[in-house]
This record gives sequence, C-alpha cells and structure tokens, in this order.
Amino acid sequence: MNDQALIAKINEGLKDKVVAITSPAPRRIFFKVTTDNLLTAVSWLRQELGITHLSTISGVDLGQSFELLYHFANNYCAITLRAEIPRDQPVLPSICEVIPGAILYERELQDMFGIVVQNIPDGRPLVLPDDWPAGNYPLRKDWKYERPPEVIPGGKS
Amino acid sequence: MLQKLTQWSRLKSPWILHLNTGACNACDIEVVAALTPRFDVERFGILLEGTPRHADVIICTGPATRQMKDRLIRVYEQAPDPKFVMAVGACAMSGCVYRGAYNILGGIDQLIPVDVYVPGCPIRPDALIEGVVKLLDKIKQGTR
Repeated sequence: MNDQALIAKINEGLKDKVVAITSPAPRRIFFKVTTDNLLTAVSWLRQELGITHLSTISGVDLGQSFELLYHFANNYCAITLRAEIPRDQPVLPSICEVIPGAILYERELQDMFGIVVQNIPDGRPLVLPDDWPAGNYPLRKDWKYERPPEVIPGGKS
Repeated sequence: MLQKLTQWSRLKSPWILHLNTGACNACDIEVVAALTPRFDVERFGILLEGTPRHADVIICTGPATRQMKDRLIRVYEQAPDPKFVMAVGACAMSGCVYRGAYNILGGIDQLIPVDVYVPGCPIRPDALIEGVVKLLDKIKQGTR
C-alpha cells in the first residue's frame, strides 16, 4: 500500500467527513475532521485500516482556537487526525470507547489546556500537582506564571 | 559518657536515607553506584536505610517540586533528631535546568535546612563520599 492508495481509501471510506487531507512527506498523512465526526473517524481507522496504536495526542494553542492532533501509527505509516475546537467553548468528545488507552492523553489535555472532554470514563487530574489552583492551564499561550521569590538560606554573603 | 558513645557511633556509622524529590534519576544512579562494591561506602559504616525513622542523614536528589513539598517536609519531620540533610546534584542545590518552571519551587533549601551541598550534574560517587566526609567533619567539630 502506498500513500496515494491510502489517501484514496480514506477519502472513499469517510467521504465528506474529511475536511482536508495532505501528505507533506512520504509515509506521513494528515487529515482533518470536525469534532462531531471525530469518534466516527477514529473507529473507522480502527475497523477498516486496523490502526490500534495511538502514539499521542498533541494540542496546539492557535490563539482563537485549539488544534488537537491524534497521532496514529501502523507498520507502514503515521496518520495524524486533526481537529479544531473554539477557544471560548473547548469541548471535545472522548475517544476512549474506541481506544481505551487514550484516557491518559485526554486527562492530560484537560489539565494542560482546560479542554472539557465529554464522556471520559475517569476525568480526575493527572499531571499537575495536587494543590494546583483551579483555572490555571500551563500550556495556554496567555497563561502567565509568577515565580515565587526564592530565599537564600543564611542570606547573601 | 552516653553522649560520647552516641556521637562516636554517629560518626563511625551514619545511616542514610536516599530520597528522590523529582530528579531525572542520574544522581540516583550515582548514589547507588557509591553504595555498590566499586566505591563501597559500606566499609565506612554508611548504611542505606529504607525509612526516615532509622536515618541520620537524608540524601536529597532533584529539585523540590510542588508535588513533593508536603511529602519532603513530612519525611524530614519523621527523621529522628539530630538529622542532617545533604543536597546532592545541581538540581537539589538550586533547581538547575528546572529552575523557574511552574511546578518547581527551587532547591531543597527552599523547604528544609541543608547542611552539605554536593555539586555536579550528575554528581560523581567520589564527590558524594567527600560530601559525607565533610558532613562528618562538621558533626565532629560541633558546627552543626
């Protein structure tokens, strides 16, 4: 199977659900879907192409919106699924019912970007400290961190 | 008399607790290397303990993370008096490359008093042994 055949297969299988599809490098395919079709696209990838390995989910703060990139991989190539959600309404469907291992990445997304993942089986905080103040999302570009002043034990010499 | 005996035993056989407060594991490997036969600090009576309740010296590796704050203070309070703390590695001294990150509070000395700093990234086992020797000198002279 080559890239062109794979792109044709994705276009054929998901039809108008694919917003844009590109292949910037050999064995690398990016395609974009809307968030409503995200779960459908992931389950299609799993059932029809047999892709079960989700490498990671990465998030990008684009200013007005957040872009989520679901990096899937199989023996032949890496397929990245892109989805964009507005910043003022950051709601995302969970893909845990298709890929159960995605829960760690989704919990991290909730922690670091403040994205609300719907239907997540267990939405507790994952990576941030226990006493982290609510409403602080470190990977948002507009988040500012005030470093607490350090003390020098015994004073400066 | 008894005081002299405890002081002697403290100097001849300090028991250490190895505590990782968020290090990248490089310092931990070197601390363990100091305990294993190549350097073998056990011949000086230095014994690795599994609990702070038995330890005289707490060897801290890694920067003080926000998550470890309460736990580090609790471990320090669990150790019986007199207790000594060694900050091992550049991270434990100042935070090093993690300094200024949102989940890092700085060096170990931001949370608990530190007696000896051992620089290095990671430390060499020789440096750790020299640090312990300097700590024992401090205890002997009564400056700590």
